[in-house]
Amino acid sequence: MIEYIIKIKKKTRNIFQDRWVWKMAWRDGRHNFSRLFLFMAALVTGIAAVVAISSLNYSLQDELDRNAKELLGADLVINGNKKFDTIWTKLLDKANVKVAKDADMPSMVLFMNTGNSRLVKVTGLEGPFPFYGEMITKPADAYSKVQAGNFVMLDESLASQYEVSSGDSIKVGTKIFIVSGVVSKIPGGGALTSTLAPAVYVSLSALDSTGLIQFGSRIGYSIYVKTKTDKETQNLIEQIKPLTKKTGNSFETVEGRKEGLGESFRSVYRFFSLLAFVALILGCIGVASSVHIYAREKRDEVAMLRCVGSSGWQAFNIYFIQVFVLGIVGSIIGSALGVAIHQIIPVAFKEYLPLKIAFSVSWRAVGEGILIGAIVSVLFTVLPLVSVRFVPPLTVLRADFVPGRIFSKTRLTAIVLIILFPILAAAYQTKSFVSGGLFSAGIALALGCLVLVATSLLYLIRRFFPTKASFIFRHALSNLFRPNNQTRMLMVTIGLGAFIISILNIIQGSLLNQVEFKGNKNQSNTILFDIQTNQKDGVIKLVSENHLPLNQIVPIITCRLSELKGRTIEAIQKDTTTIPEWALTREYRVTYRDSLTGSEELVKGVLHHFEKGKKDSVFVTISERMQETLRVKIGDSLVFNVQGVPVKANICGIRKVDWPKDPPNFIFVFPKEALANAPQIWVAATRVDDPKQAAKFQQMLVMNFPNVSLIDLRLILSTVNELFEKIGLVVRFLALFSIVTGLVVLAGAVINSKFVRIKENVLLRTIGARTSQIVKITLIEYGYLGLFSALTALLLSLGGGWLLTKFFFEVQLAANFTELLIISIGVIVLTVLIGWFNSREVINTSPLQALRREG
Amino acid sequence: MADIVLQAEQLTKIYSSADKKLTVLDQVSFQTEQGTSLAIIGPSGSGKTTLLGLCAGLDVPTGGSISLMGFKLNAMSEDDRAYVRNQFVGFVFQNFQLLSTLTALENVMVPLELRGEKNIAGKAKDLLSRVGLADRLHHYPSQLSGGEQQRVAIARAFIASPRILFADEPTGNLDEENALQVTDLLFEMNREEKTTLVLVTHNLELAQKTERILQMKGGKIIKDSAMQIQSILHP
Repeated sequence: MIEYIIKIKKKTRNIFQDRWVWKMAWRDGRHNFSRLFLFMAALVTGIAAVVAISSLNYSLQDELDRNAKELLGADLVINGNKKFDTIWTKLLDKANVKVAKDADMPSMVLFMNTGNSRLVKVTGLEGPFPFYGEMITKPADAYSKVQAGNFVMLDESLASQYEVSSGDSIKVGTKIFIVSGVVSKIPGGGALTSTLAPAVYVSLSALDSTGLIQFGSRIGYSIYVKTKTDKETQNLIEQIKPLTKKTGNSFETVEGRKEGLGESFRSVYRFFSLLAFVALILGCIGVASSVHIYAREKRDEVAMLRCVGSSGWQAFNIYFIQVFVLGIVGSIIGSALGVAIHQIIPVAFKEYLPLKIAFSVSWRAVGEGILIGAIVSVLFTVLPLVSVRFVPPLTVLRADFVPGRIFSKTRLTAIVLIILFPILAAAYQTKSFVSGGLFSAGIALALGCLVLVATSLLYLIRRFFPTKASFIFRHALSNLFRPNNQTRMLMVTIGLGAFIISILNIIQGSLLNQVEFKGNKNQSNTILFDIQTNQKDGVIKLVSENHLPLNQIVPIITCRLSELKGRTIEAIQKDTTTIPEWALTREYRVTYRDSLTGSEELVKGVLHHFEKGKKDSVFVTISERMQETLRVKIGDSLVFNVQGVPVKANICGIRKVDWPKDPPNFIFVFPKEALANAPQIWVAATRVDDPKQAAKFQQMLVMNFPNVSLIDLRLILSTVNELFEKIGLVVRFLALFSIVTGLVVLAGAVINSKFVRIKENVLLRTIGARTSQIVKITLIEYGYLGLFSALTALLLSLGGGWLLTKFFFEVQLAANFTELLIISIGVIVLTVLIGWFNSREVINTSPLQALRREG
Repeated sequence: MADIVLQAEQLTKIYSSADKKLTVLDQVSFQTEQGTSLAIIGPSGSGKTTLLGLCAGLDVPTGGSISLMGFKLNAMSEDDRAYVRNQFVGFVFQNFQLLSTLTALENVMVPLELRGEKNIAGKAKDLLSRVGLADRLHHYPSQLSGGEQQRVAIARAFIASPRILFADEPTGNLDEENALQVTDLLFEMNREEKTTLVLVTHNLELAQKTERILQMKGGKIIKDSAMQIQSILHP
């Protein structure tokens, strides 16, 4: 016999040339669509989340680019906190540009028809504002009436909240105005601003006549400029730059506003896109997990194909083509779903977006979604599918044959790329490798914690298995440990979704708890400010007549820093970057008193009294955080510019301030009498629990002291709560993707283990189990799974919540266990439902049917 | 003398697990010629299936060498052995090993499709007719009885005109009537196609239908009917 010890020269065809693998992929795939559909669904959820968020970002950026000038309403805005000098008027006259003006300030207004009052932003307008975009009023002539005087317009939300309509009267300061209409859209003003501080519009000349502008009033003045060309804008900017430095004014350009807004929304986008990314990563894990089981089930068929001459790569290609094609289809469906969601988001959050976003499809986001889907389909399926290449043909003779571990370059490459993928993708999302790396490390840590908790729980169940429990409960529990059941994987994916929802709930609860007024009966919830010295006694009397407690009445003096540790602020600004600019140049509102309030604690130093006539006897205390920001210590000197008078002071103590508790609180506190003669206004704090009494008190305050403003902290609380709810909705929505991914994996695991389950059920029925018992076992099994996933989420969210509240938000953990319980029950019910839905066939198959199938 | 199709020399297979070594095949040597039939019999664990796996190139020996159609299988890569199998080898297994997602016709066509041949449906249909399944072409394995499945497997084994056919307990999962039908079919087609048949079985009745029987025990050939004849002819 001639022996051929040769390397066979056989025709090798790559995946594109080998028609047979495509044919086999189709033949085999047509019967596995239900299984492959599940892996596709895992991909769909992840891609949908990414595309929805990316689309929103791109359309927002596009709108910002298209309508940038509308954001400002002008080519340029010059701002200041005092009336503009004539030098400005001369400059703008000389430049021959169109101008409009406004001034705004916080103030109370009284709605005459209902007697309600509210703190609003009173805006005085003059001239043809806006130059770009449009001010939409109802009726259309509302603004022209305002310009004529004696009329006001209100933000639409405010008018609707206080049931005010055209023709009603509003008292602003000392003057009563007639409502000419409502403003439904105005350039520069977002609905978010309107929610937090709704505006009332009057003419600029009328604002002067309200008597609101007094000493200490915080007014912002603006001049809106329209130029003929961009070049003219640039020239004007060059001219006003030196003037702004001289007069302390600032200016804002269209580009600046666009960048600012773009940056704010980019930050929010990054946060949400990273959440979407978590959903994608979970989808990837779901994909890998489904394909892993799929590949394992195909072992026998691959072995047979190898027997009849298929190469390892050909076998691999058959299944790779299936998952890749379906991956692309899944990416397209996911992208379409993402586009659909993108159309809903602007509707749901229109009041928080600065621009109206038109119905559009961001093809860039769709393209990215499909590309990401394709990458995921390749990366996360190659690893589990590589095993197909090494299925030994001997398996056809010995099903239990396990080959030795084979080194595979493909497997190694896939592992490296899988590690790199989240880093690169996160870096792309955040536009930073460091952030991408950190985020990926964060995900790995979070998933690691989830795996650890899930593993520990499963270990504890095995260790302390309830051997005395009834058969049904024991059997359902032991089902969790069935091979290929993916219990840990399910606990991680479902748990992660539940974890995000739970931790959000904990943080929201903890933050709101800080400003709620349930605990301390003496804590103030109503702050009265802008009280003139000559009004002080009257306000105290009014508080007393209304039987309200006067928790605080403190003077406020506005000042700026002029020297720090013996050096001028200008000198420090020049050669240091360690102290932020804002801390050096900001206006400080300080007070004087000789004692601490309930919200303060002296952590270092002592309180010093003011000794009149003694040199260097002004000692101030500083809040802990500002002490760190300004890098000062006890004994360091500061010079304050108090309304033009330099006041030298030394730091004698450092206070830890619980800011939300018992306002007002202060950064700097001077000793009593040190600033007694400085121009000052007063702030009073009281507590009103009864809403009717609050309305009556506010009404009397506005009537008697129109310039005094009142902050109702309960109103702010409800606004903040509303905001939380809206943001929470997006986070919950994205967390839902994670839960859906988990449930898809669950459905996949149930379907993939269907035949094992049918066999078990047949066995159980053969030895006498009733259908009701099998149903109970199935339901309890999924109940356990949901319970352990929820428990994993709960444990981690409490741990994570504690860490975040203590070290990041620096507030006390306040978890609402009722709400957390509801979330957990929701997760359990959802898991049981999905498990039950996919197990119907398993439960309903009769033993005979199963035996026939076996035969 | 007819061509030697299969030649095993000092074939040894040792399985290692942890610190234990299990010799399942111990220096087995034999050869077989074109167009002959051979049965390997022996008790469970005697090494007969291991021998079949090595002879068909499904596994590689720990020691010794195996030549199939002149190709030294133990010196070839897995993919090259797959190529040799595709060109020269047919298989029939106890549990049929049909691809569950393919119809009877598609299952039969696979070996030729792998070769890249075209217009093969006619040949596959003819073969299925020959095994009595002309009306079951588009049925899936789950829609066929055990006997029918094994007949599809025989059709698949013969479609590529193999030079050698390996059959592992081909009647092991069949009732008496079906077993008889399948046996007859297998031997009939083997004769017609002049294929070498290597059969592993517990069934002595089936083994006796072959021209030669190798009896194995403890990983060794303890009796070779050909040798007995030789010894009778050349004492």
